[in-house]
Formats: sequence, structure tokens, C-alpha cells
Amino acid sequence: MTPEVERLEALAERLRAVEATIPSPAAKIRGWNLVSAAVQQSATVRSRSHSVRRLVLAAAAAAALLVAGAVAASADSLPDSALYPLKGVVEQVRGAFAFSPSDRLTYHLDLAKTRLTEAEAMIARHRVDLASQALTAMNDQLNDAALVVQSEQGADPAIAADLQNRLLQAIAVHDRQLQGLQGEVTNPAAQAAIATARDRAQKAVQVANAPASSGNSGNSNPGGKGSASPHPTPKH
Amino acid sequence: MRALGKAASDDDRPLIERVRRGDQDAARTLYERYFDRIYNYVYARLGRAEDAEDLAIDTMTRSLTRLDLFQDQGVAFSSWVYRIAHNATIDHYRRHGKVTLVPLDDATLPQSADPSELALEQLSNEDLRLAMRDLTDEQQQVLILRFFQDLTAAQVADIMGKSIGAVQALQHRALGSLERSLKERAN
Repeated sequence: MTPEVERLEALAERLRAVEATIPSPAAKIRGWNLVSAAVQQSATVRSRSHSVRRLVLAAAAAAALLVAGAVAASADSLPDSALYPLKGVVEQVRGAFAFSPSDRLTYHLDLAKTRLTEAEAMIARHRVDLASQALTAMNDQLNDAALVVQSEQGADPAIAADLQNRLLQAIAVHDRQLQGLQGEVTNPAAQAAIATARDRAQKAVQVANAPASSGNSGNSNPGGKGSASPHPTPKH
Repeated sequence: MRALGKAASDDDRPLIERVRRGDQDAARTLYERYFDRIYNYVYARLGRAEDAEDLAIDTMTRSLTRLDLFQDQGVAFSSWVYRIAHNATIDHYRRHGKVTLVPLDDATLPQSADPSELALEQLSNEDLRLAMRDLTDEQQQVLILRFFQDLTAAQVADIMGKSIGAVQALQHRALGSLERSLKERAN
């Protein structure tokens, strides 16, 4: 061991021998009173914050369930229902995920069929105004579907022919349904709306048969960009 | 240093869990285990009993009411308590400046026959405490923890966030500086 290390070891030993300075008993009691109060308060605050956290989580779960339930319920809602606007939102979201021409055609034809069903229900409830709006929306969807066929004619005639066939079949089915409906209703306004819808459906056939032009090509966007909206705005 | 009791250990963990649930008895046990040590540590740094009491109470309050923060530190509870005490003293210095009860000029140290040698046996505890205040913050901390608090180099390393080797080197330099300071005061 070098002299320096010996000296420092001796100094370290001297430091170890320094008596501990301890607090007075009064200081210790005062300290515990303050610390104890703080610990108690902290435990209370923590307990409250846990309760609030649980409450927030429960509220969030309830809200999520409510939204999910409303979305599910809106799928079958009709134009005179409060949930009907939500149905439109869901339909637009669905349209955003239709990328291929076949998917886009399916999307528009499904919506056209839905609008027709809604129109029938509204006529049954004597809501001719809403029925008329639903039929207009149906025609918009058929027109968008026709534009999909038309734009595909320039790209792939074979696929276009298949799409056109599906469109024509759908329009024929709709027309038969509208024809039956027309025979059942007595309200002149309803009859006029149905007649107009049948005429416009036939025009969609002409659009599908027409050669693609720059004005029409690619105009059909899923989610209601071709038409103003995939479903009519309800009036209650 | 004697009379400060056992330094902390794994025994703290169950107590900490109980304190988290608001158990006052567990808080009392931890308070009893650390208060004297922390008071001693702070007193060695500040030199004033009143300030040491206040900072020790503040340190224990923070330690026992902010246990959620301790969970994320990855160190022993004892190290965490010392770190809080250390930060409290640094904060105290910033707010009040370094305080010494006895003016350094008035401190008289015993002289040995050979001016180059220190008469260790004649040094009072207060001489040592005063000379330690000439050291850097880290040097003071390592000497207090190692020799006043009787902690191992590993425990000090945990508290200071250094390696054991770095603590040993720092300790060596600190002792050298203390020796020089004592000699200068004696001459």
C-alpha cells in the first residue's frame, strides 16, 4: 500500500468515525404528522382518480355500444326514421371501398334496389313526398351504374358487356316492380312519380349503350359523387 | 456511523405496495426506516438543523406520496429516496445559496509537528464537516454516502446513477481533495 493510499484510508476511517447527526424527537414527530397527512390525502385522491377513470371507461364503452347499435339499426331504417341519415353515411363509407368496375356496379345496383324498397314502404305509409325522393335517388343510382358500364366499354368491351347485362337485368326487375306498384296506387302524385321513375330508368339503359365520351367517362364515383347522394335527404 | 439502522432493501417492496393502497402503518415503517438517514444526509450537506428537518420531511412526503413515479425509475426505493433528497438540497442551494453556520475563516484546525502531515486524531467532527464543504457537489455526496451513511459502493452507484468503478474513482479523488483542504486550513 502506498503512503498516499494509507493516508487516504486513514482519512476514510476518520470520516467513518464521525457521529451520526440525528433529528430531535420533536422534529421526527412533526415530520410524521405532516407525512401521514400527505399520504392519507394522496390515497384519497388516487382512489377518486381511479373512480373517475373507471367512470370514463364505462361511459366510453357505453358510447361505443350505442354508436355500434345505432349503425346496426340504421341499416334497416326508412326515410321517415331518425336513423336514416346514419344509413347514408354507412352507404358512403361502403362506396369508398368499391374500387373495381364490377364492385362499383354492384354498389350502385344495391343502392338502387334499397331506394326502391324504401319508396314502396313510403307509399304504403302515404308519404308520397319521401317515396318520390327515394325513386329519384333510385334513378340516380341506376344512372351512375350506367356510367360505370359506359366508361368500361372503352377499356374492356368483354367486361363492359357483362356489366351491361347485369344492369339491364336489374333495370328490368325494377321496372316490373314499379309497374306492379303503379297498378296498386291511387294517389295521382304517387302514380306520376312512379311513371317518371320508369322513364328515367329506361334512359339509364340508353346511357349504358352510348359510347363513352369525355363528358361521361369516369363520372360514376362510388359513394354518391356521380349522384348528389346515395340516398335522398329525408324530410320528416 | 452508527445509529442510523439498516439501509434499505427488498423488504421495502411489500411496504410500498401497502402504502399505495393507503396503509398508514406501512408508511410509518418506511418513514422510520429512512427519516433519520435522510435527515443525516441533508444535514451533512447543508449544516443547518432547521433546513435539514424541513428538507427531510419534504423528501419523505414526496417519496411516500409519489410512488407512481417510483415504479418507472428502475432503481431501489432507497436510491430513489436519496435522489429526491439530493435534488431537494440542490434546489435549496439554488434558492438560498450554500449556508454554513460557522464562518470558514474562524475554523481553526489542529497543527501537527510536520506541516505536511495531518493530525487526524485531533480533528473534530466539525473540522471535517467544514472542510468537506470545500469539495465539489459530487465529491461531498460520495463521501457522505460512503462514510457518513455507511453505504456500499454499489448502493452509492445506484443512487448517483454511476458505475461502481466511477464511484470508487470519485471517492479516491474526494478523499484527496479533503486531505488538501484540511492541510490548507491547518496552515
